[in-house]
Amino acid sequence: MSASGSLWLIPALPLVGAGVNLFIGKRLGRSAGIFAAVLVAASFAVSVAVAGSLIGLSAQDRVQTQELFEWIRVGAFSVGATLRLDPLSATMILVVTGIGTLIHIYSIGYMRDDPRYGRFFAYMNLFVFFMLMLVLGQNLLVLYLGWEGVGLCSYLLIGFWFEKTENANAAKKAFVTTRIGDTAMLIGLALIAVKFGTLDYTVIFGAAGSTLTKSAATAIALLLFAGAVGKSAQVPLHVWLPDAMAGPTPVSALIHAATMVTAGVYLVLRMHVIFEISGVALTVVAIVGVATMLFAGTCAFGQDDIKRVLAYSTISQLGFMFLAAGLKAYSIALFMLVAHAFYKALMFLGAGSVMHGMHDHTDMKQMGGLLRKMPVTGVTFIVGALALAGVYPLSGFFAKDEILEVASNSGHELLFVLGVLGALISALYIGRLVFLTFFGRARSEEAEHAHESPAIMTIPLVLLALGAAGASLLDLTIHGALSTFVEPVVGPTPEGAAGLSYAAIVAISSLMVAIGLFATWFVYGSGKIDWLALRVRMQPAQRVLEHGWYVDNYYSALLVTPGKAVAAWLAYVFDARIIDGIVNGIGAGVRALARSGRRLQTGLVRTYALAFLAGAIGLLVYVGFRL
Amino acid sequence: MSTPISYFLVLSSILFAIGSVGVLTRKNALIIFMSVELQLNAVNLTLVAFSRMHNSLNGQVLAFFSMVVAAAEVVVGLAIIVSVYRRIRSVNVDDAEALRG
Repeated sequence: MSASGSLWLIPALPLVGAGVNLFIGKRLGRSAGIFAAVLVAASFAVSVAVAGSLIGLSAQDRVQTQELFEWIRVGAFSVGATLRLDPLSATMILVVTGIGTLIHIYSIGYMRDDPRYGRFFAYMNLFVFFMLMLVLGQNLLVLYLGWEGVGLCSYLLIGFWFEKTENANAAKKAFVTTRIGDTAMLIGLALIAVKFGTLDYTVIFGAAGSTLTKSAATAIALLLFAGAVGKSAQVPLHVWLPDAMAGPTPVSALIHAATMVTAGVYLVLRMHVIFEISGVALTVVAIVGVATMLFAGTCAFGQDDIKRVLAYSTISQLGFMFLAAGLKAYSIALFMLVAHAFYKALMFLGAGSVMHGMHDHTDMKQMGGLLRKMPVTGVTFIVGALALAGVYPLSGFFAKDEILEVASNSGHELLFVLGVLGALISALYIGRLVFLTFFGRARSEEAEHAHESPAIMTIPLVLLALGAAGASLLDLTIHGALSTFVEPVVGPTPEGAAGLSYAAIVAISSLMVAIGLFATWFVYGSGKIDWLALRVRMQPAQRVLEHGWYVDNYYSALLVTPGKAVAAWLAYVFDARIIDGIVNGIGAGVRALARSGRRLQTGLVRTYALAFLAGAIGLLVYVGFRL
Repeated sequence: MSTPISYFLVLSSILFAIGSVGVLTRKNALIIFMSVELQLNAVNLTLVAFSRMHNSLNGQVLAFFSMVVAAAEVVVGLAIIVSVYRRIRSVNVDDAEALRG
């Protein structure tokens, strides 16, 4: 119990950093970044201690709660500001604070010359605080607090360089798009509160089986999943994430790759009890996951902007995680989440380092040959890329193959085949990125004179590369260490006798990766093919992929344009004519009435006195007749 | 042997009529004011007369009330006339027409 006693420190430390940097960050100058990084690192240290204390405990003791204070009480309905430490939240806080620390350190170098240096770290710390509240909450309202809080920080950080209109627009788009999902999620929360009378996890999980009918569970699960779809940028609410790359690169690494976007996966894992009662909801999760994985993978292949490739890749990988969750392989979804946090944060930071060396150019057509100019960035980036593609023995290999194994074993042949296809697409887009950026000859002046980034940026890269490789050890099989650790929360990974043997699956997926990497090397890396000419010939297809299948255009044709038309009608016709007509009509009527009344007001006192007298006599006469 | 009530009433009516005509025809605010006082006192006279006729004190008490109110009214009214004079240099009520509609 001593471990959970210090649980509050974990979110409190970054909150202190946010407060201090927000108010006196300007005066702290350079030390603002160091201060912020130290606080997140301290939070990480506490997380390690707390999570470590769980390992020794027996399975049923691995859930500990700490009530800080009663937050809301309305009649019999009470919500506490309560934290929960269990294997799932322990894993999440380690990822958030651990990778968060490295990204904070990197940012000290990356944001060095920014005029709003202190504010950047204030937002980053605030984000870490909200993310920790999200994963540490013992009830859905604390989760929702964190959920909206990270959305706010995401908005603030995407639009951090708000002087450029497109950045401000991207921030707005991210906020509005995720709100669509959040609204559905809030309705889901309300439904849970109505059904259970509480939002507390322990009560919900204990009573779900007896309280919820299948259809009620489906409704709740799908509403919650809508929130996850928005937050984790799944189809059809994925459109905000590629644009979110307008923010500073460490933000993309921390929020839009490693942590915030995985909140949706966390939500599904956390509420898996309800999803399982429904059954249908799990199928929906898996289908959305697969669709997103394939869709975003193809989009990633068509991008020229290095950060947009990584953004679509993140969407695609999140789809993989939802596929795993939909197959009830929750612990493997979590494993993939951890592995992805490492290698995608690594690649985003690597891309930031490339931009740093290339004077903020992000077009891969202008790059080439950077491996020699930026050896540390190049090598670590390639480690991350191989991990993503799923090359043995890096973490992505185990995560992906375990998902495929579960898909095959549980008899979902179609999902298995699509998953293999997804693996091939991943290898294709990441291979294209690596060969275009780091190999071949330099294709621009900047690439010619690119330079390696300072140590404060490369050291986090090296550590993340070690993590991306070493995360494999967490879960070497579907019953690996991590799966066993979180089993008390999410249950065992399902097994089945159906499908292919593990060796066959490994062979198939590795073959796909090899084909993908070889094909991209042949086209983009070997120098045997003029890919620019090929690109011109394939232009129609290339255009479609580059614009993400024109989803944005459909949305603006179907939703934005009609929405604007309705708004214009309301503003210029309904408001200007009808509402204003009523208001002005009342005004004009009163004025007309006043104009006739004004005649009585002659300004001659004697006229008034005469009226007075006439009135008095009139009254007398009236009274006299009455008598 | 007391004076018949009708004497009082006739006198009061004459006073009231003089006051009314004064209010309606004069332009000088001070004269109008005096005419108003005349009307008030005509009414007071009526009140006292009826009071005696009915052998009740009610009318007389009301007459006192009316005198006190009239005194207060004189204070306010004269103050207004003075300040109007300061403003427009005239006590002619036809010159004070700023509030005309």
